Amino acid sequence: MTGRQRIAVAGLGTVHSAPPGTSQRMMAAEAARRAIADAGLSIRDIDGALDLRRTGGGGDRANYSDVFTRVLGVPAQFYFTVGRGGALAGLATAVATGFLDRGLANYVLCVGAVDDYTKSQATKKKGMRGMAHADKEGYWGKPLGDVRAASHHSWMAARHMAVYGTTSAQLGAISVAERSWACLNPEARMYGRPITVEDHQNSPWVVEPYHLLDVSLVSDGAIAFILTTEERAKDCAQQPVYVQGQGFGEVAAELWWEKRNFTEMAVAPAKAKAFEQAGLSGVQDIDCAQLYDCFTAEVLFQLEDYGWCEKGQGGTFVESGAIGPGGSIPVNTGGGLLSNWHLGDLTGWAEGVTQLRKQAGERQVPDCETVLATGHGGELVSPGMCSIHTSTILGVA
Amino acid sequence: MTETEPKPWTKPFPNIDADNEAFWNGLKEHQLLLWTCHTCGAQYWPKAFCIKHENEEFARNMSWQPGSGRGRIFAMNRHHWAFHPGFTDDVPYTYALVELDEGPLISSTIVGEVPESLMAVGTPVRVVYEDHPAEGFSLPRFELVRD
Ligand SMILES: [Zn+2]
Repeated sequence: MTGRQRIAVAGLGTVHSAPPGTSQRMMAAEAARRAIADAGLSIRDIDGALDLRRTGGGGDRANYSDVFTRVLGVPAQFYFTVGRGGALAGLATAVATGFLDRGLANYVLCVGAVDDYTKSQATKKKGMRGMAHADKEGYWGKPLGDVRAASHHSWMAARHMAVYGTTSAQLGAISVAERSWACLNPEARMYGRPITVEDHQNSPWVVEPYHLLDVSLVSDGAIAFILTTEERAKDCAQQPVYVQGQGFGEVAAELWWEKRNFTEMAVAPAKAKAFEQAGLSGVQDIDCAQLYDCFTAEVLFQLEDYGWCEKGQGGTFVESGAIGPGGSIPVNTGGGLLSNWHLGDLTGWAEGVTQLRKQAGERQVPDCETVLATGHGGELVSPGMCSIHTSTILGVA
Repeated sequence: MTETEPKPWTKPFPNIDADNEAFWNGLKEHQLLLWTCHTCGAQYWPKAFCIKHENEEFARNMSWQPGSGRGRIFAMNRHHWAFHPGFTDDVPYTYALVELDEGPLISSTIVGEVPESLMAVGTPVRVVYEDHPAEGFSLPRFELVRD
């Protein structure tokens, strides 16, 4: 093993829409095929593969574990499942880095796929609403009425409102900003459908304090990317996007009953490591941020916890238009999980790579050289918080 | 007058396992049990190791002991959508995260009078029990405490 090289994203492939009834397996395979072609590589070059699943290691892997072998015919020396809730790309990158550093692989293919929309349409007929998979086995609140992600995530928004005086209209400013970005992204699900704070306020309650427009989309699709070393990436077809720094935080490090975790996320340790590795002094060095946005308040928490504004001031900050087009810190420039489409942190990751390659068209952030991409996920039995926070600095410099 | 036949349970069932069976049995006896350290008295819910002590194997230095069943609202929400068809007749319902006087957080619906504002954090509540003998379990609910 020689000295470490930087790890780079060399290829990106996305499937936003697929013919109805397309399996996760085929969406994953197609996204992977596109990523390989995007990198200017051949399927035969891929020697490692990571299957990105919200339920890493879950039995559902068997449903499509043949993406790499039977469908694509990737000659991988290894493949396995990585993922925890919405934390997929960040974890996959950390894992792949070890294999690339040690010369165990040259090109690692990372693929995630979802068919939540199709599944939700099917379970709707049985009277269910929302993503069926979110019915957690063993989850305390199930018989009591705390059923889906909105049930328990909304407590965090409610708590922030009670402690800091944040208002629903301020959360609405986040929805509006992300929708404005989506309206600059022809691939976004909500392209051409601008909204106002009034629309947000008038949208039906789902779980108060969350309106429908505080809740992320339910999607079908797949995203794939290829990781390799800096040296190899330079020979690939696209401008390399480098992983400049990574860090991780776990709410679980302080146990779930640490009550301040209801108004903040495990950002501090993740940020410290990622920014230190990337040689950044603070958020003023970030050109655009892809912040995990399963619900609006998660964005608000991160804006505060990373330091774009003081704790408790997130509401005022987003109200000023700071995160939308033309604002001081462009956030979720593709429309995010709220208005683009939902595949965990892969959505923001793909958008970050696109921005750094200057391929973002009308929504391109000028002089974009450094992007923060975050992930969020996992589950803690009750009171239902997502525990992991992943922080990745991507850059082209 | 004959007793009303309880309606069949159409909601998701609780997951009762070896770790929490005693807790669920406590609910049937109308006791809210908390997992308690024999050394320092710290109380937990659900079952846990005492974070203030080195623990014996499988937390054998701890046991389920009755708690006060009292606490304060820590955060609250109001469900307007029935994500599961079993809750169709219940919406809108108010669901609270309660900080028990002993420290742990627990959650359930607020029954009876509900706070008008979701910002009513700190409002005192106490546990009440909802029995489902045909299903073999009781559920804890919370009601506001009025002095
Ligand atoms: Zn103790």
